[in-house]
Amino acid sequence: MKLLRVDPDRPPPGPFRPGFWRSPLRSPRLTAILGLVLLIGLPIVAITGLLSNDAYQPGFVDNALGRHLGPLDVYLFGWPSGPDWLYALTQGLHVTIGLALFPVVLTKLWSVIPRLFEWPPVRSPAHAIERLSLALLVGGALFEFVTGILNVQYFYAFKFDFTQAHYYGAWVFIGALFAHVPIKFATMRRSLRTREEVLAVTGGHSLLSPNPAPGTLSRRALLGSVGGASLILLAQGIGQSAGGSLRALAFLLPRGRTRPGPLGFPVNKTWVRTGLKPAAVGDNWRLTVKGRKAVTFTRAQLLALPQHTHELPIACVEGWSTTQTWTGVRVRDLAALAGVAGQATVTSISLEHGNYGQATLGHEQVSDPRTLLALSVNGQTLSLDHGYPARIISPTIPGVHCTKWVTEMHFAELSV
Amino acid sequence: MNRLSTVVARLRARYGGGPAHLLASLASIAIAGAAVLGWTQRPRDLTNVLIWFGAAIVLHDVVLLPVYSLLDRCTLGRLPISVAAYVRVPALTSALVLAVVFPTVFGFGAHQEHNASGIVEHGYLARWLLLTGALFALSGLAYAIQGRRR
Repeated sequence: MKLLRVDPDRPPPGPFRPGFWRSPLRSPRLTAILGLVLLIGLPIVAITGLLSNDAYQPGFVDNALGRHLGPLDVYLFGWPSGPDWLYALTQGLHVTIGLALFPVVLTKLWSVIPRLFEWPPVRSPAHAIERLSLALLVGGALFEFVTGILNVQYFYAFKFDFTQAHYYGAWVFIGALFAHVPIKFATMRRSLRTREEVLAVTGGHSLLSPNPAPGTLSRRALLGSVGGASLILLAQGIGQSAGGSLRALAFLLPRGRTRPGPLGFPVNKTWVRTGLKPAAVGDNWRLTVKGRKAVTFTRAQLLALPQHTHELPIACVEGWSTTQTWTGVRVRDLAALAGVAGQATVTSISLEHGNYGQATLGHEQVSDPRTLLALSVNGQTLSLDHGYPARIISPTIPGVHCTKWVTEMHFAELSV
Repeated sequence: MNRLSTVVARLRARYGGGPAHLLASLASIAIAGAAVLGWTQRPRDLTNVLIWFGAAIVLHDVVLLPVYSLLDRCTLGRLPISVAAYVRVPALTSALVLAVVFPTVFGFGAHQEHNASGIVEHGYLARWLLLTGALFALSGLAYAIQGRRR
């Protein structure tokens, strides 16, 4: 330790000296204002993110995608089957507010950068551990925002599974936030109340430059500029989430446009991408439903069953939604035909065996009369892109669980 | 009670903070440890995830921030004070928007997007430039109005 001599009163030249940081905009008040915005916004993003994990119902083996549920896998309750806009709302908020907060996060980091170079670097064990937890906070925030922002724009620069990385990364961030907020809350309140002139008289502050450069921008203009960027991004998120005539608002995101016609609404995977042969969904296509007994249907036989029509959203984890009018057979009717009477879950298996090639719906979804094995949409036979010959549609479940090109459905009765 | 306060006082002297500080900090580190355990469920992903996480801690603070600060100092920082704000505000807004939508604007995800949605869409760069132009035009208008008042 003696080798590294640290004189607390004589920082090395460069960023470790307070005079190095000259922006007149940095101040405890600016940091506190940005902190307050994040204190309100980040919990919304975190809670809706955790709800999304719940909506995926990872407690079912098919939905867990190789995850073994550990201490951080909060799985509080079965996912409700209504109101039908539930997941469109929670996930729309998650992505939209996340996009809109990123400029605030960057500005907040800019505002506190002198603290990274504070001198001496470590004052006490408490200070050391606090700085470590701050590294987790900054790393967690940037990791979450960057992976999320890249993922909703299909830029898979990262060579890892997004869901798992983003989910556990969120916990690093949430954990560090829980430590940071109580430690800094009083500072934030004090900074919001204190005028900078007072600070200057009482001996300055580590965020106030001792020799500020001439001001070119007022704090109000800076906040206006950041707020403006947030508003533009908010509009992007609202556009792709609300859909309809508002979709055009998302002019800088991939989901700002749809294809023309009644079947032009968005999909997350095209038929071409599956690599399946047309024969797979030709006259030889059959649906096998397994419960207490197995029953096989042709598409004509499914069409002969009682048909029901519901207006339901497809809400994607990427934050876009689209509400359409679906017609098909009630999944609970199929359960009855397979001899299943009580509460049951259903695993739907697609002809396409990729990630999400099969997904399980909970008993809340199976018993809901609006959960359909859809055969047509908006009065037209399903197109191949929309899952012809048959696909699952159910209120409140993530879009990727609305299995397309269904070939098998397995009902599993819950032991009561 | 007396003994407890002695312990707390000793903690403050040695550790430099109260028990709540110690517990909150330790909890956050323990949760991070559990998250790393979660990541180990995909051993092949683990190294990449940790690299990205490490980069998230380091890259912004020691690379991006200095680079954009220098860039600002060499360009906008040289503007006369009378116009600086009117250039800085639209430039900053536009740059912050780009920080979020750059993959779409530069078409980095276009191939995957086509696979997913069946839509090939061009012209995002032009839209962002148009947005930037509109922001500068608004700012120019504000400058003109301000100038007339003076």
